[in-house]
Amino acid sequence: MKSKIIAEFLKKYWYNYIIGAAFLILSSYIQTLSPRYLGTIFDLLREPVIDSRRILHYIVLLVLVAVGMFVTRFIWRYFIMGNARNMECFLRQKLLEHLQKLDVTFYNNRKTGDLMAYAVNDIGAVRQSFGPGVALVLNGLGLGLLSVFSMADSVHPRLTVFALLPIPFIIAIIVWLGRIIQKRFRAVQKNFASISDRINENISGIRVIKTYVQEDQEVDRFDLLNSKMMKSNLDLVRVSSLLSPLIQTLFGISFMINLIYGSTLVIDGTISLGSFVEFNGYLGMIMRPVISIGRIINVFQRGMASYKRLNEIFMEKPDITDTAHKSPVEKIQGGLEIRDLSFKYPGYDEYALRDINISLPEGKVLGIIGPTGSGKTTLVNLLLRLYKIDDGKIFIDGHDINDYRLEDLREAIGYVPQDNFLFSATISDNIRFFDDRFTEDDIENASRISLIYDNVMDFPDKFETVIGERGVNLSGGQKQRISIARALIKDPAITILDDALSAVDTQTEEEILKNLRQDMKGRTCIIIAHRISALKHADEIIVLDHGRIIERGTHKSLLEQRGYYYELYRDQYQKEQREKIESEAS
Amino acid sequence: MKRHSLFRVLKMSLPYWKIILMSAFCVLAVNGAELAKPYVLKVVIDDFLKYRKPQSGLYSVTAMGIAYMLLVLISSTLTYVQQNSMNYVGQSIVTSVRRKIFSHIQRLPLPILDKFTTGRLITRATNDVEAISEMFTDVFINLFKDIFLLIGIVFVMLRMNVTLALIGFTVIPFIILLTNIVKKKMKANFVVIKGLTGRINGFFAENISGMKLVQIFNMQKEKQREFKELNDEYYKAALTRLTLNSILRPAIEIFNSLAIAILIWYGMGRIMGQSLELGVLYAFTEYIKQFFEPINDLAEKYNTIQSAVVSADRIFELLDKEDELEDYDSGVRVDRFRGDIEFKNVWFAYNDEDWVLKDVSFRISSGQTAAFVGATGSGKTTIINLLSRFYRVQKGEILIDGININDINLRDLRRNIAVVLQDVFLFSGSIRDNITLNSDIPEDRVEAALRLSCADAFINELPDKMDQPVTERGSTFSAGQRQLLAFARTIAHDPSIFVLDEATANIDTKTEGLIQRSIANVSRDRTTLIIAHRLSTIRNADVIFIIRKGRIVESGNHDELMALGGYYYQLNAVS
Repeated sequence: MKSKIIAEFLKKYWYNYIIGAAFLILSSYIQTLSPRYLGTIFDLLREPVIDSRRILHYIVLLVLVAVGMFVTRFIWRYFIMGNARNMECFLRQKLLEHLQKLDVTFYNNRKTGDLMAYAVNDIGAVRQSFGPGVALVLNGLGLGLLSVFSMADSVHPRLTVFALLPIPFIIAIIVWLGRIIQKRFRAVQKNFASISDRINENISGIRVIKTYVQEDQEVDRFDLLNSKMMKSNLDLVRVSSLLSPLIQTLFGISFMINLIYGSTLVIDGTISLGSFVEFNGYLGMIMRPVISIGRIINVFQRGMASYKRLNEIFMEKPDITDTAHKSPVEKIQGGLEIRDLSFKYPGYDEYALRDINISLPEGKVLGIIGPTGSGKTTLVNLLLRLYKIDDGKIFIDGHDINDYRLEDLREAIGYVPQDNFLFSATISDNIRFFDDRFTEDDIENASRISLIYDNVMDFPDKFETVIGERGVNLSGGQKQRISIARALIKDPAITILDDALSAVDTQTEEEILKNLRQDMKGRTCIIIAHRISALKHADEIIVLDHGRIIERGTHKSLLEQRGYYYELYRDQYQKEQREKIESEAS
Repeated sequence: MKRHSLFRVLKMSLPYWKIILMSAFCVLAVNGAELAKPYVLKVVIDDFLKYRKPQSGLYSVTAMGIAYMLLVLISSTLTYVQQNSMNYVGQSIVTSVRRKIFSHIQRLPLPILDKFTTGRLITRATNDVEAISEMFTDVFINLFKDIFLLIGIVFVMLRMNVTLALIGFTVIPFIILLTNIVKKKMKANFVVIKGLTGRINGFFAENISGMKLVQIFNMQKEKQREFKELNDEYYKAALTRLTLNSILRPAIEIFNSLAIAILIWYGMGRIMGQSLELGVLYAFTEYIKQFFEPINDLAEKYNTIQSAVVSADRIFELLDKEDELEDYDSGVRVDRFRGDIEFKNVWFAYNDEDWVLKDVSFRISSGQTAAFVGATGSGKTTIINLLSRFYRVQKGEILIDGININDINLRDLRRNIAVVLQDVFLFSGSIRDNITLNSDIPEDRVEAALRLSCADAFINELPDKMDQPVTERGSTFSAGQRQLLAFARTIAHDPSIFVLDEATANIDTKTEGLIQRSIANVSRDRTTLIIAHRLSTIRNADVIFIIRKGRIVESGNHDELMALGGYYYQLNAVS
């Protein structure tokens, strides 16, 4: 299977190649005229009486050929090379669009550095094939064929055959070496990606490295990769640099044949001295494209290797796709129902969720609590359709979530993730998430609810303050509150807070929750937390453990059940209460 | 700046002077062979084809043909040798530059590091370094070769016929002028393209990391639009580059033809007057072609040089932050701290006068457990950043065991202070790698650390136990599990000062109960600083500091603070 991405581009822009090719061939033709004129000039110079007017005529033609070449070359380069640049940008844009379609499963198995190599190196290599590569081929073919034809036609057929004898060997060598080069090139690329990767990870984790003074060890580890990179590069050059000298040597044989056999023909009187000169000119002209076969092979092999890699990516299909063109309801209200949901992560044997049944009417608040790894985040991932689930398991407003368009579904959910990822952009861009629909009032309003407004106002540029790539200049709590604002600005039908208040203190937590209850009244809300204080007001609370709901009810009824929740509560509150009383008494 | 960078790159090749010298010798020999080729042709044309001199032995067409072939063989073999040895030099230099960049990044202080995007730093160590490598393999020796070829051709031409040679040279000033004009524009264009490439890199890096969010928030279209702008800008710059390239080379060829035309026109009269041999004229047209090839080449190589210079500039810009690097070598060496910590009138701001800490003074005695309490953004985390010297205080001083931390060897300082950070970062590798972090920590200590941190429970359930692979950023583990691993990591490294930064927030109460116990164990003989929101976590602290808006407003142990009836008392009353 091949992706049609390049075909799609060519379908749109093929005419550029046609125009470019036409001018390229014209350019090659003009180029072959130059040895002919030069040969004629030398024949004229040998005449006992020199006809200076005719020679002048040819000299002028010689210069005109150069000017013609300038013009035609400029034109074909613009069309062919320019088109390749266009393709590069086209592919990069398409790659981004494609990557955006792929789901979490894909990203779990890929490294950022690897994926970046596609966008930069591979697309660059493909461009090389479609620009300089194509041009070299067309130019070489045109020039070669025209030269051979001129040689055989106007000089001497047998001399031509003899002189071109080494060419099959040249081609054989190119094919043989080409294969080895390709293999070694792949190794280089792989190492290149590992290096990008290692640096990427290193920089992301630089705080840990510094804290544990691991800098030297990191450098040592990097050295291993670095020397592997060097070795693979040297290996590559050892074969790739063999190509051109080998070809040149074989071509030397052609020149030698012309020198010996051609001279004999001149001495015999079979051909003129001018023809000998002309023939030499043609040989030189053929030589350049044939030598460049090495480069062409190189360019195309890199291009092909990269194209294969790109193709693999473009052929990746997201597990989750829209089956419906239209969502069953116009506007999602937020009623949620989960029936007998069990789920295993792809590639895992154990159930992450087992027999989950939840019914959450629109406008109600669900609290989820449970130990680390009990499946809380998994449940949210499924609601967001980040993983594929069977039909008949999760319903929103009475319709299966698989029947909704992904866009509509996610539009209706305001999600605050556990780990806060902010973009290196302004705070305002991070809150409205680059969406122009939202006004400044919307941004201010959302940030007031999430209690980030005052902090933002303390920054010199207010909402226009740019956050560093990893948002380093913000504290964890500030990042969390920006994430909350980002979710709330959408005025979503369903709000999901996935342990989103963990980095703020209890007082701030209390206030944010109060704001939420006021401003999001009538909105469905799911709160995942470890602190009971964050979800005790929920209409229903479920306790998850090892993927199962082990307890459920309201805060009050759960306390009455005297189970896990009760114990948790006792741990968290009664101890504090008791200590408080004790300390007050003392 | 520009010439400077280039010079510095060249300086790096000094240790390889022997190989370079040998390459240069190869190149000279290749040049000689190239120069001799047209001469062989001249002899054939003049002696055998025009004057039909008798052939005998080595003075024959066949011998000349074989001589020609030998020249080709010499040139090919030496080219191969030269290319490989120069590539070796280039790769060696580049490998060491890459290493330098990497180790440099390791030692950049956080305030500077925060200003770079990850994509840009990666570009320094990959693409920029590659550009320099190309300069060595493609340009450096070829430059030498071309220059010597030029000198050689000029020499041979002058020797064959002075007037013809001078006529041939008349076009040179035009070529130099043209090249100069075009290359100025090229340089500006190269800087633009490099910058854009860096931004495209950065865009992809960030968007791949944040893809999940982009998808959940349906912001694909917006991001596409943002990228399209960037992409279009890049396309425009690329077309400019294309145009500039299209002009230079073919224009030089026009001059090439002009030179040949003038030569023939002039030679025509001489040949009529019998003062010039036809073969010499032919050899001249060949030499002129050869003459323009290196000039052509030089123009072509200009691209590579340009991009190498831009890359070198950017690499040196990074490497020249030498004096800003964290200094790991100087300072008082300390094996272990007793653990007396004192902040004396510390003022600190991340930007200008935006004070995050205002005149903060406190003292923690060896072995004590101190807790910091305060609202988000009150400056708690900053205290830890300062203690590990990630940032330096603007006013006042921080003392550990009575020594100003600015005077303590940084390596020893950080080695002795273990911090569990807010965002737990895991490296790809195994769980074991993430705990030992390449340090040589014996197996039993790793296991003990796992037990103390209660991470053993979930690790034992994994199929590969401690050898379970961790993917990039530990994405397969839950936040709580990541936190447990971070604890294990800290405990395994046995620090003399132990710092917890809001780390308990992501762990369920059950596990946290266990962790509380292990913290108690670990902090028994260590000075421990805890930043947490939960009152239960800090109740047992020897001293509690209440921070509000960058100032310490209350301090004392639980009982004292409760008796005080201030902020801490209210905090307790809330829950």
